[in-house]
Amino acid sequence: MVLELQKPRPIWQIMFSTHHTDIGLLYMIMSLAALFMGGALALAIRLELFFPGSQIIADSMTFNRMFTVHGTTLIFLFILPFASSIGNYLVPIMIRYKDMAYPKLNAIAFWMIPPAFALIWLGFADFTWNAYAPYSVISAPGPAADMWIFGLKILGVSAILGAINFIVTILKCKHPDLPLSKAPLLAWSYLTSSLIILVAMPTFAAALLMLLTDRLAVSRFFDPAVGGDPIAYQHLFWFTFHPEVYVLVIPAIGFMYEIIPRFSRKPIYSHSSGVFAFVLLAIVGFASWAHHMYATGMSFTEKTVFMIGTLAAVPASAMHVFNFLATMWGGRIKFATPMMWSVGGIALFFSAGAGGVVNSAMPLDFISHDSYWVVGHFHLFVMGTIAFGSFGFFYYIFPYITGRMYNEKWGIVHFILSFVGAVMVFFTQHVLGLYGMPRRVFDYPPIPEWIAMNQFITVGAMLLGIGAAVFLVNMIYSSAKGKPANMDDPWGLGGKYYYPYEAKNPHHSH
Amino acid sequence: MVLSILIILPSLQYAFAQDEPGEYMDRRVEIWNLFFRMMTVAFTIGAVVSGTLIWLVIRFRESNPKATPTKYEGTGELDG
Amino acid sequence: MSSHSHWSEWIYIGVVVALLVWVGAEAWNLERLVEHVPEDAKVIKVTGQQWFWTFEHEDGTKEVGELHVKKGVPYKFEVTSTDVIHSFNIHDYVVLMDAVPGRINTVWFVPFDAGEFDIQCREYCGLIHYNMRGTLYVEDDA
Repeated sequence: MVLELQKPRPIWQIMFSTHHTDIGLLYMIMSLAALFMGGALALAIRLELFFPGSQIIADSMTFNRMFTVHGTTLIFLFILPFASSIGNYLVPIMIRYKDMAYPKLNAIAFWMIPPAFALIWLGFADFTWNAYAPYSVISAPGPAADMWIFGLKILGVSAILGAINFIVTILKCKHPDLPLSKAPLLAWSYLTSSLIILVAMPTFAAALLMLLTDRLAVSRFFDPAVGGDPIAYQHLFWFTFHPEVYVLVIPAIGFMYEIIPRFSRKPIYSHSSGVFAFVLLAIVGFASWAHHMYATGMSFTEKTVFMIGTLAAVPASAMHVFNFLATMWGGRIKFATPMMWSVGGIALFFSAGAGGVVNSAMPLDFISHDSYWVVGHFHLFVMGTIAFGSFGFFYYIFPYITGRMYNEKWGIVHFILSFVGAVMVFFTQHVLGLYGMPRRVFDYPPIPEWIAMNQFITVGAMLLGIGAAVFLVNMIYSSAKGKPANMDDPWGLGGKYYYPYEAKNPHHSH
Repeated sequence: MVLSILIILPSLQYAFAQDEPGEYMDRRVEIWNLFFRMMTVAFTIGAVVSGTLIWLVIRFRESNPKATPTKYEGTGELDG
Repeated sequence: MSSHSHWSEWIYIGVVVALLVWVGAEAWNLERLVEHVPEDAKVIKVTGQQWFWTFEHEDGTKEVGELHVKKGVPYKFEVTSTDVIHSFNIHDYVVLMDAVPGRINTVWFVPFDAGEFDIQCREYCGLIHYNMRGTLYVEDDA
């Protein structure tokens, strides 16, 4: 498999390379670094919330900065780049071409990210990853706020460049013998998520620029004293970021579409349903943004419209769940680590979606808005579905990149710790929100139920942390000293399930 | 039976309720009521979905004594 | 590999859509009722600012950090802010509405139980967001 790293190469050769597998590797390393850095912040936050009062964090400003950078890092510096990593590795292979359509642009898009990473971490802004006006304009301390704005600007451009590359590669560079409708579902997931980015991202670029000019007092877009509207920022933000959450989840579902059929030893139940569901989600995902704004004083009609838009996106996700279950039915399933992560991911995906349907009911927002219910809900998506799908795919691609097998037992330990931890943390946070605890709070009143739940959640978070440590050790040790993998069939699935793309792709060979 | 309790009876109540002085709607009751009804439905469906998933995992795992090879094993063609 | 969906997938989607329609209808209905403000509701102006709440009753009485109301009487809050976005929340009474500078948002309730209840802020507003709290005192009518 072309992805092997068995022959050591000088690091600068990889850094200056424009080949898709090298860029995939760069994205991979950077995204995993972000995962650990953002995750460390989460552990610190959870330790602080173990008791009311100040524990390990001295003051609320530091705490506010920590959750802002935690969210910003994990979304923009882990989830998206990790998806780009796998996309870079596999999209050209899947559509049977030699590289991405624009290799140099590909390298540029990657190298924009480390400076943005630095800007975000050196600034350490405090205004939450949403950066709502007017707080972000008139109250958030600079230069942290401005550095965050510039960092996100750069990340947005990088995402758009990457999206253009994926779209052109898939649509224009695919092999003439491969009809688009028969392209693997993982390729479709990159096509649809890239199309969403292309349409949605520019709105946020505008919003960022408007925030910056407002901060510089050159403009007053969000200043009500002169006729501006702070809510306008929220519309611009969520118009991008609701579709963006589909950008985050669609590749993870794509990962599961690679793993579940293979480890079930049968083809996906319905390839065309999968394609349809991705495309439908991409389109309908644009109709629901203001469900994040139910509490801002929108009219009844507006809220209804967005509720309908939100609910309309559910059948598409439901189709994926059906597809996965129907694929497993009648299979002969090997529950190796990648499969465990995918199946656990589907279970948590369903729970996240069910909570989402409840959220979309407008009057229930009065209970849950900006409480820990919301925190539990979205973490079931980003951790329970996306991170689980990503971990599973990482274990899957590991032998192909390193030529060695990871330690299966430790992989299972990582999964169990993470699944138990995720349930302990995120399900409990739903309940904590129902009891009224707001989100983004450094401290809370000594209500016994809140304290008990916070402590339970912190314990669960520590399990997640231990799992991550196990993962780190497994990856580092196995890359260097793991057993050499059987490159034709690393998991002993029997039969030749791997890389049918490779068999028909004249550009790649062992 | 479950359907009528969860859906029809509350809807009938709403249709006839008006805000008279002294007889106002208690938002707590109405909102939490809707929440609990939705949670009941969500958990029922959750039980069906996760029950199915658990059954699939147990029945079709390769170590199950009843496991038989699928008709695609050995053909190498997964995507057609 | 199947290119056509089995009938089971159609039934499944039908069930999903039916459920979503139910969710939507229930939510629409309840929201309609919740937003219908009784005509005799007494107005209380609520102002959020970093990092405390102030209240003004119809008769001009002002309160800071605490709010006294009478049991069984409908009240309509007119919520706004003087600086950044806050969110006025009395969780025990499921009252929640953003306080946005430059606009007045409305939410109403009837305090059916006497006692003391927490008021908190539910939108990040900076340093003391976590402690932007108050107390609602619901008094029995004498």
